[in-house]
Amino acid sequence: MAFDAETGKLTCGSCGRQDNIEDFSDEFIETVFDEDEAKEYQCENCGAVIVTDGDTTATTCSFCASPVVLADRLSGILAPSLVIPFTITKKQAEEAFIKWCRKGLLTPKGFMSADRIKKITGIYVPFWLYDLKNDAEVKAIGTRVRTYTRGDYIYTETKYYDVYRKLRVDFCQVPVDASQKMDDKLMDKLEPFHYNELKDFKTPYLAGYIAEKYNYDANELFPRVKEKMSGPLNDYIRSTMSGYSSIQFKQKDIQTAKKKSLYTLLPVWMVYYDFEQSEHTFAMNGQTGKVVGKPPLSKGKIAAWFGGIAGGSFLIMKIISFIVTGGVF
Amino acid sequence: MNRISKLLFLFIFCFFLVLPSVSADVQRVYDQAGILSDEEVAALEKKAADLFKKWETDFIVITTESTEGLPIMKYMQNFTDQLAKEFNRKKDNMAVITLDMGDRWVDLAGFGRAETYLPDSRLDMIRGEITPSLSAGNYYEAFDLFFDFGDEYLDKHPNIFFNTFFQLALSLGLAGAIVFFMAYTSGGRVTVTSRTYLDESNTKIIDKHDIYLRKTVTRKRKPSSKSGGGGGGISGGGRSHSGSRGRF
Repeated sequence: MAFDAETGKLTCGSCGRQDNIEDFSDEFIETVFDEDEAKEYQCENCGAVIVTDGDTTATTCSFCASPVVLADRLSGILAPSLVIPFTITKKQAEEAFIKWCRKGLLTPKGFMSADRIKKITGIYVPFWLYDLKNDAEVKAIGTRVRTYTRGDYIYTETKYYDVYRKLRVDFCQVPVDASQKMDDKLMDKLEPFHYNELKDFKTPYLAGYIAEKYNYDANELFPRVKEKMSGPLNDYIRSTMSGYSSIQFKQKDIQTAKKKSLYTLLPVWMVYYDFEQSEHTFAMNGQTGKVVGKPPLSKGKIAAWFGGIAGGSFLIMKIISFIVTGGVF
Repeated sequence: MNRISKLLFLFIFCFFLVLPSVSADVQRVYDQAGILSDEEVAALEKKAADLFKKWETDFIVITTESTEGLPIMKYMQNFTDQLAKEFNRKKDNMAVITLDMGDRWVDLAGFGRAETYLPDSRLDMIRGEITPSLSAGNYYEAFDLFFDFGDEYLDKHPNIFFNTFFQLALSLGLAGAIVFFMAYTSGGRVTVTSRTYLDESNTKIIDKHDIYLRKTVTRKRKPSSKSGGGGGGISGGGRSHSGSRGRF
């Protein structure tokens, strides 16, 4: 039985039986082992010994291909609170990726056909969803500039203001990827995930997919979420000071506290693509289908676009001059 | 045979009909004050004819002992109104230099295409360049220089947007920026905004003030658009022109 992204139910591929996951009992995650204790598992289906790396929490048996969920790595402090199940199936992911390749304006022709997808893997990537509370106290000098003309002179009047703001700025459910293996920048670009499909975690969601456990806990990643939100925080602070031509900050006291952090598994399709003797890795948001990752760039296409745009715009400007200046260049 | 000779006759007739307006040239140098030698007049006429071929613009030289009591601009306007009627061009393009030897005034003017390409500012500049020659009595040299400047500026639209090199640089810059942006975003773009994770219900301003402290005022003189002999105008014949004039 494996999780089916289309119906959102646990489905048997052979007989078509479907089980509702929300009603599933938590019995599988009751038992607690030491997280590093075992790296060998026995497949419940065929009895073969499966060896996984220390981070894997769900995989498929390499002998009989039946889904294996390593319950001990999903329990205790390692138990995820929430999950967004896959809504894009493997087939849809492949189609979406091919479509994305075709849309690439600068990718080489051979790459656009997307016929060398080596592997496409559904992974539940561990994230922390932070709720943050910021207390900000800001002092600044703001200026308002007005220019007017009297007689033969142009006057520039600059008014200075003492600007003070005491603010409470909260952010909710900011995702930060907690897996060492995943590239942070790549994961940041996958956002946004739609949180209305967040579900309480149940192990069967993982069936048929690979899942990882977190490598960094919520306190270790707190500096990263603070840094990630410093831009939006400053944007909000600036937005409360409208009507000024310039703002010069004198003092900025910001206290950031973590209200809540939830261990959440988010769905990501990893696409491994062989092109010209090198492997390219792409990630796709398993909920929205957004694709990120650096595709190879074709020098010829770059030159063609550059030449086309430069030549085209030059021609247009020449035509405009021709019309405006009356026919002589 | 008869038909062929008729056609031949018609052709020759047409040829002579067209020819005079091409070869028989107009007079462009009016040295009424007699400050140029015959050779100098001939050389200027030749140069003016060449410039007309190149720019479809008549370069006119007028010298006079007296403007008959009129301001030099008015005198030039009346004189060129008459010329324009005489030339009867499809496009009234003229670059005119007028010398009043009595009061020692010089006037530069541009009509039509020359009004666009030789605006007041450029004429002011040209006048600044040729005034030393005029003061020294090197009139031919000054007229020749005026022709050269006119030739140079009629090639450069005063608006930089119409400059070929500027257009080339702009289109290359634009293409570079667009292609760079395409390459930069080919790996996917960040689509979350500053407000995506903002919790509006708990975010609020607890306390604020905006206290007026002081103000500073600086002033600067309005840039005067007209310097020297005060720009162009419209002639009695309704022809508008750019201009620059002053003493020499």
